[in-house]
Amino acid sequence: MLKATQLSVGSRLKPLDLQVGAGECVAVLGPNGAGKSTLLAALAGLLPFRGHVAWQGEDLARIPFLQRGRRLAWLGQESWAEFDFSVRDVVAQGRYAWGEDGRGVEEAMALLDLTHLAQRPVTQLSGGERRRVFLARALTTAAPIQLWDEPASSLDVRHGLEVYALAQRKAAQGSCLLVSLHDIRAAYRFSRVLVLEEGRIQGDGPPHEVLSADLIRRVFRVEATFTTSLVPELPVIRS
Amino acid sequence: MKLLALFGTLLALALVLSLALGDSWIPPKDVLWALLGKGDELTRTVLWDIRLPRTLVGLAVGAGLGASGVVMQAFFRNPLASPGLLGVSSGGALGAVAALAFGGGALGLFLVPLASIAGAFLATGAVLLMARRGASPEHLLLGGVALNALFGAATSFLLAVSTASLQVTGQIIFWLMGGIENRTWEHAAMALPLILLACAWLLPLARAMNLLALGESGAQSLGVDVRRLRWELVALSTVLTALATAVGGIVGFVGLVVPHVVRLLAGPDHRRLLPLSMIGGAALVLLCDLPTRFFSVGLRLGVVTALVGGPFLLWLLRRRPC
Repeated sequence: MLKATQLSVGSRLKPLDLQVGAGECVAVLGPNGAGKSTLLAALAGLLPFRGHVAWQGEDLARIPFLQRGRRLAWLGQESWAEFDFSVRDVVAQGRYAWGEDGRGVEEAMALLDLTHLAQRPVTQLSGGERRRVFLARALTTAAPIQLWDEPASSLDVRHGLEVYALAQRKAAQGSCLLVSLHDIRAAYRFSRVLVLEEGRIQGDGPPHEVLSADLIRRVFRVEATFTTSLVPELPVIRS
Repeated sequence: MKLLALFGTLLALALVLSLALGDSWIPPKDVLWALLGKGDELTRTVLWDIRLPRTLVGLAVGAGLGASGVVMQAFFRNPLASPGLLGVSSGGALGAVAALAFGGGALGLFLVPLASIAGAFLATGAVLLMARRGASPEHLLLGGVALNALFGAATSFLLAVSTASLQVTGQIIFWLMGGIENRTWEHAAMALPLILLACAWLLPLARAMNLLALGESGAQSLGVDVRRLRWELVALSTVLTALATAVGGIVGFVGLVVPHVVRLLAGPDHRRLLPLSMIGGAALVLLCDLPTRFFSVGLRLGVVTALVGGPFLLWLLRRRPC
């Protein structure tokens, strides 16, 4: 569904090949400056890059801009806002490429626990709430390819878990997701992890195979101990 | 919709007053008759040859500056941006001041606005050249600072040199304070059609501007051709500023205060912000032009817009903090 061939961006991303199929949910890991954001932005066509990127089998360069908005959604790392649009206005922007028909806006707000904030100006939200607004905007596009750059970075425990659960559900429905994150432990919730370091792929596969103590030491420069410890989970029945 | 009706009424009122008020008061009924080509000849002459062109120029200047301010603020994602930011109006000022300093004021009415257009478009060209190379907003902003400094220095130099003739100095200072007195149909024809065209071009871009206001990459990911949009916005806003400056001189504050006031009243959605700022800008300039008719020395349009706009903005900010 998403395919990159010899994709590179200056010195930030060395030429790499990558293929992510429908129904796959990939965690992208790596230390600061490893190229996670660069990879996601290049795959989304937001950066000038070398090599080829194809969405659903079609060369990105041939896809008109408006079409891109229907096929791929990208959540950037920063979600600041200078103008006081309401939460609903921002979420509804996800339908730009569909003529702002308002479809799925209420559902996306409900999914990300924003319904009670719908009329609030985005300038008056906390960092985590704003993050959820921009994630809801990405969901509203109904795009089959979703690229999220550290979606859970400023979220509390529960909303963070919900975002990961949401990613799994989207994949189960046939979407293709790439989600960058810093919490190595959270990567175990994904079926596939991609580890980047200095713009190169250092590991790609199921978390239990890829995330060895050796790789973690080499890439992240920390010693990892594998134990059973506190792992928060969402209750099966949501309140 | 209520706001649109309110602003529309305000503009209609401003238009009527602008046609009716002056050295002689023409009752609105007679204004209508004279517009239809009836009534006595003196009234018709005053209306058609003096007040109507002046009013149309005011309309063009106000709408152009209001729209240009909205565009600059969306483009720079900063509610403090204004039409003069990229150096276009100071380019226009330099052109006009150069024409005046070299005695152009005596050589007919059009040399000064034409020179101003030349200066403003020179600045526009420089800005577009930067934008075309894919310069970031921050880059363009710094370029605008450089152009403003450069044109400002040249203008100051010409002003200093011109002090040999008090009359020329007076003309320059008057022009720099903005004003739409003694405007003719030629001035109106120079500015109004192009300003209306640029405004009409802007309106369908409102949805994309909403996205741009919340970040470029996000906008592009949602389906906006950001490179093209940025180019269109810079081109349209500089052209609007250039034309408004050429026929109205430096009319400060309209491009900053009008979008602000509209945003406080109507919210940040550009589908409302753009048309309301065009209408509001036109109404503000026309209303601010009225007192200048009775104090021909001293009270200039640019002075009145700042005198009215400054306190009004302060009052709004006090009532509703951002």
